[in-house]
Amino acid sequence: MSSSTIHNLGYRRYDGVREGWTGAWQALVWQGFRSMFGLGRGLRAKAIPAFVIAMVLLPCLGTVVAVGASNGQQVIPYGLLIGSQLLLLALFTAAQVPEVLCRDRQHRVLPLLLTRALSPRQYALARLSAVWAAMWLVATVPLLVLYVGELAIATDPAARFAEIGPRLWPVLLCGTLTAWVIGSLAAMMASLTARRGYASMLVVGLFLAAAAVTTGADDLAAMPDVVREFLDPLRALRTMAMLLFGETTRAMEVNPPPPVMVFVLVFCGLGAVASLIAARRLERVDA
Amino acid sequence: MAAPLIDARALSRRFGTVMALDGFTVSIASGITGLVGANGAGKSTFIRILLGLVEPSSGEVSLLGQDVRRSADAIRALVGYMPEHDCLPPDMSGAEFTTFMGRLSGLPAHVARERSAEVLRHVGLFEERYRPIGTYSTGMAQRVKLAQALVHDPRVLILDEPTNGLDPAGREEMLGLIRRTGREFGLSVLLSSHLLGELERICDGIVQMDRGRLVRAESMDELTGETGDLLVEVDGDLPRFVTALRARVQGVAEVQVERQWVRVQMGDAPKSVNATERVHDAVRDAVVEADVGLLRMERRRARLDDLFRESTPATGAVS
Repeated sequence: MSSSTIHNLGYRRYDGVREGWTGAWQALVWQGFRSMFGLGRGLRAKAIPAFVIAMVLLPCLGTVVAVGASNGQQVIPYGLLIGSQLLLLALFTAAQVPEVLCRDRQHRVLPLLLTRALSPRQYALARLSAVWAAMWLVATVPLLVLYVGELAIATDPAARFAEIGPRLWPVLLCGTLTAWVIGSLAAMMASLTARRGYASMLVVGLFLAAAAVTTGADDLAAMPDVVREFLDPLRALRTMAMLLFGETTRAMEVNPPPPVMVFVLVFCGLGAVASLIAARRLERVDA
Repeated sequence: MAAPLIDARALSRRFGTVMALDGFTVSIASGITGLVGANGAGKSTFIRILLGLVEPSSGEVSLLGQDVRRSADAIRALVGYMPEHDCLPPDMSGAEFTTFMGRLSGLPAHVARERSAEVLRHVGLFEERYRPIGTYSTGMAQRVKLAQALVHDPRVLILDEPTNGLDPAGREEMLGLIRRTGREFGLSVLLSSHLLGELERICDGIVQMDRGRLVRAESMDELTGETGDLLVEVDGDLPRFVTALRARVQGVAEVQVERQWVRVQMGDAPKSVNATERVHDAVRDAVVEADVGLLRMERRRARLDDLFRESTPATGAVS
């Protein structure tokens, strides 16, 4: 027989430390970050994140194994691999960004959250930070897997590191800019509505519309190449990744893209504008 | 003298052409205070100003001696808010949500977890705390809303229609919880409700608003004091008793039948000891004459329903 007793201690006051807005901000970012991967939720919420993570990691692991089996005869195509995965990253944002940005408004939790130690601006930045952090992880880890894998399969890892060590910066830059652009554009679209379903459609719609417009624009001879290059963010990110890792395609040889610095600057600006729009929308409280 | 709990001076808030608050001035003491008024009276705007969600157009308001506009962060740590509308994420558990709200109020993670378990026990949801909120009944959802308002140990609770959507049993339980929160936990409570009977039972004071202005702010004792009228309940031939009583109190009081009760209204006659004794004697004599049993005789107390019916214009009937 159990001898345990439940003691009702009555209502206890709390006079300890309060972390203020920094603690609240961290809690909001962490909760949003977990939501991006469906953590703490049912299996259904984890399905798409798990699928996307598997689909972006498996080709990278397969490539590393294949290159290892060829005794270094083959080269790991970083740009080509990440370029082929951009659509998956867009799908990931369409499914998960609305989870983080729309639920508080859809279930009318937002006015309640803002009665706590958070201003509307802090709330918006916390939610966007969660999106960026999760996106950074999903976009950068495959490249890091390739990078670390390349070192691991080398017969002399130290010598290989001396050789490809500086490639870490393009890896980080590519992952960061990819996360920044796709995450911010998805956040901008998701912030336009409080309904998760509509938000997902808007995100998918943006990337599909951009791809469709670019395909049509390819036939317009009068359009400057630079403009055409940036009409589809996913295509532009793919080109930038190829440039960053010194890879090329026949199309790029025929029609050389702008220098990589132009891509970096345009993507920084595009992400900033999209983030600003998203933040302004998220700050609006109909209490 | 202790600072009032809430002190508003000439508080105004305009939304376009609508004046939601119009020079609203009130001083509210600690304890459980009811905030009443018809829809559009300005209750929600006043609450939103107290919570820092809306800036007043003019005027000043302080809570526990701190200016609401200048010390918004400090005040947020002192206030727990339970909104009227649905505000719960259905896929989070009660424990997860209250812990999260504790964290958002600045509590360290381990403290938020501990206090979440405590407040969920206080509101009677300890066993169900790991169930998703989406599976809770209306009454359980209302308890979670109360728990999240308590989790960061506020000094003041602002409850907006806390019994909304509850069945009579659930309403009783929620009122019991609120009474306990105010009396045992020592928290001050500002309670907005349309149900005057509920307020009458648990509040120490009432603030009535109409069209953004203060109608009255009085203690419950002042509002529900004795009216001087007498309520009599008899067992037997009621019409005969009424006839006998009317004949005896003619010119001094009026006699009305309210279901099984007989109400003796003193009218404009002076409510002196003499007049009251005369009516008491008349009741006794009428009982003897009508040969009925006197079950009960008591002085009638004013009820909030009556007071608000008298003071609220036709456009703002408080139901």
